[in-house]
Amino acid sequence: MPGARTPGSRRWASLALVAPGVAIAAFVVVGGIGMSVVQSVGLLPLVGDAAFSLDAYVANGDELLTGTALSLGIATASTVLSCLIGLTAAIVITQGRRTGRIVAAISALTIPIPHLIGAAAVGLLLSDAGILPRILGIPGTEWPDFVGGSWWIAVIFEYTWKESAFVALVVAAVLSSRVARYDETAALLGASRARRLRHIVIPLARPAVIVSAIIIFVYTFGSYEVAWLLGRPYPEPLPVLAFRLFDSISLTSRPEAAAVAVITTMISLVVVALGMALLRRTPLWR
Amino acid sequence: MTSRRNRPRTARPSLALGGAVLLLSLAACSPTGSAASDQQNYETWNEVVAAADGQTVKLWMYGGDEQGNAYVNDVLVPAAAELGVTLEQVPIADTPDALNRILSEVQAGETDGEVDLVWVNGNNFGTGKEAGAWECGWTDLLPNMALTDRADPLLLNDFGTPVDGCEAPWHKAQFTFVYNSDTVTDVPASLDELLDWARANPGRFTYPAPPDFTGSVFVREVLYSVSGGYENVPLAFSQDDFDALTPALYDELTDLEPSLWRGGETYPQDSNELNQLFADGEVDFTMTYGPATLTELVANGTYPAGTKVLTLNEGTVGNASFLGLASTSGSKAGAMVVANLALSAEQQAAKAEPGVWGQFTVLSFDQLSDEQRALFEALPESPVVPSYDVLSKNANPELAAAWVSPIDESWRQLVLAQ
Repeated sequence: MPGARTPGSRRWASLALVAPGVAIAAFVVVGGIGMSVVQSVGLLPLVGDAAFSLDAYVANGDELLTGTALSLGIATASTVLSCLIGLTAAIVITQGRRTGRIVAAISALTIPIPHLIGAAAVGLLLSDAGILPRILGIPGTEWPDFVGGSWWIAVIFEYTWKESAFVALVVAAVLSSRVARYDETAALLGASRARRLRHIVIPLARPAVIVSAIIIFVYTFGSYEVAWLLGRPYPEPLPVLAFRLFDSISLTSRPEAAAVAVITTMISLVVVALGMALLRRTPLWR
Repeated sequence: MTSRRNRPRTARPSLALGGAVLLLSLAACSPTGSAASDQQNYETWNEVVAAADGQTVKLWMYGGDEQGNAYVNDVLVPAAAELGVTLEQVPIADTPDALNRILSEVQAGETDGEVDLVWVNGNNFGTGKEAGAWECGWTDLLPNMALTDRADPLLLNDFGTPVDGCEAPWHKAQFTFVYNSDTVTDVPASLDELLDWARANPGRFTYPAPPDFTGSVFVREVLYSVSGGYENVPLAFSQDDFDALTPALYDELTDLEPSLWRGGETYPQDSNELNQLFADGEVDFTMTYGPATLTELVANGTYPAGTKVLTLNEGTVGNASFLGLASTSGSKAGAMVVANLALSAEQQAAKAEPGVWGQFTVLSFDQLSDEQRALFEALPESPVVPSYDVLSKNANPELAAAWVSPIDESWRQLVLAQ
């Protein structure tokens, strides 16, 4: 064994070990986003000469604006609800009682279900011809428009159901490793439950909640299948709009699809940056 | 990430437009109209039959239709084996997969490619023809072509592209409206009356939002109707005709909107969703390109017992689908033998049986012998679906593919988004 290895060579060794992973990620991320950007500005046309133009960003101006607003709304609602429910569930889980174990089991069972299956199940359950109105004996015409309605309730419900389980497990893992000692100490010193929650549990959970929120927001903002299955044809969230344009027969719509994808990506990057800034400001980050 | 839902069982082989853009791009860079055939040219049918013996033919077709798969593997494959041709079905997710493969092979100069026959029509055929994907001028050799009507417009033009012997007919399809006779008592006799019925019965009618294929056809049917019949809409696209004809279409559909399901505030996203609404009794009409499946859907209770097919005085859009022979095929003789076999009265009658596949025949009864006609007359009569003669009365031609995108796109802007 070369025991005399310098720290420098060890750093190179570790770099070499992660290089394949970084290379693949860079290839996909830089390559994919790069191709989208190049296509969206007209430099990679299917027919005709390549020429720089921002037409693709203007072509669907109205739909792009309504789509952005809608996608932001869906992602925000899903993220906020998932974090609130997930955090509550995590606190219940870390209490360690039987209810905690049940909540943990339910959360763990929810994770492996693909969103596509979840969306189909929510559709079967909540649509106006679904199982729930039938059990309740409510005719479809009087059932609220959860699926395909103007408030996108079924979509947000599906995201919230899946993602709150994700938040619950991530936050519970953090809390169970860190919280117990502080919590017991505070309790011995006479802190009430409410004070312990406010001064110990929530501050300790905050970094994990923020990280989960970033992941959920970016995921729901860019996800296609749930919004398509449980949504309505107009207005369209950005990923649905992008895919419809991409799939369209017209030769000019590919750059437009790429433009929608680029805008979706940029908004996601901004959200990640904001989230990371918030994370750095939490006292426990380091 | 694609979550395309199941298609109707009587699949339209090539009507999914997805991927066609890629095809167009490939088409743009390949030698136009040059079928890369270095095969011998057959002069007589006997030469073809002799050359076909022992060949293996790969039939690429949409594989998401169990009845279609069962027909090919259980009926057509054994019949081909008797003629010394090994037929293999290659199930694919979408017809452009096959076309992409042929086009790559054309570019690579392949002469014994993986694709021999493709179940195709419409846009995929037209794009492929432009790019030299199809062997042309071979269908005249097929003896069973004599059983078809040589003047049948559905077999001469495929969505506006002349067939030119580049593909052999296989099935016919007919766009069909379906209604529940228990709830619809004053049955409309024309599309105009159907729309009036919808206005008189708010919330009981709707159509899938284009670019869904079925919804898209419905909008084109309305275009025919408001233009005073299909004769008044030129099949080839021009911007002038579009500007002149479509305002009446969008006015009509906008005017109809408040009377639709959910007050026209939204539309079913695809035909499956509309079928679901019909099955649940939320609407009284649905529409389909595959009426043959209706018998089974009523029999198994999915659709209400009162389900009936609505025949319109002015007729509806009909089309045909075909077996295209890849220009890169190395088993052309075998492929021709299979195409001829598929056109035989026995195979067409077997395929038309609702329990087998329920595809309408492309043969003309006037050309058949009494024995051959008896095969079709022996088919069980459906209590729901009338015969193809009745369904296809006054069949309207399909508009050229170039019409489709502008009509769908303007519908989204002028009807959906308002």
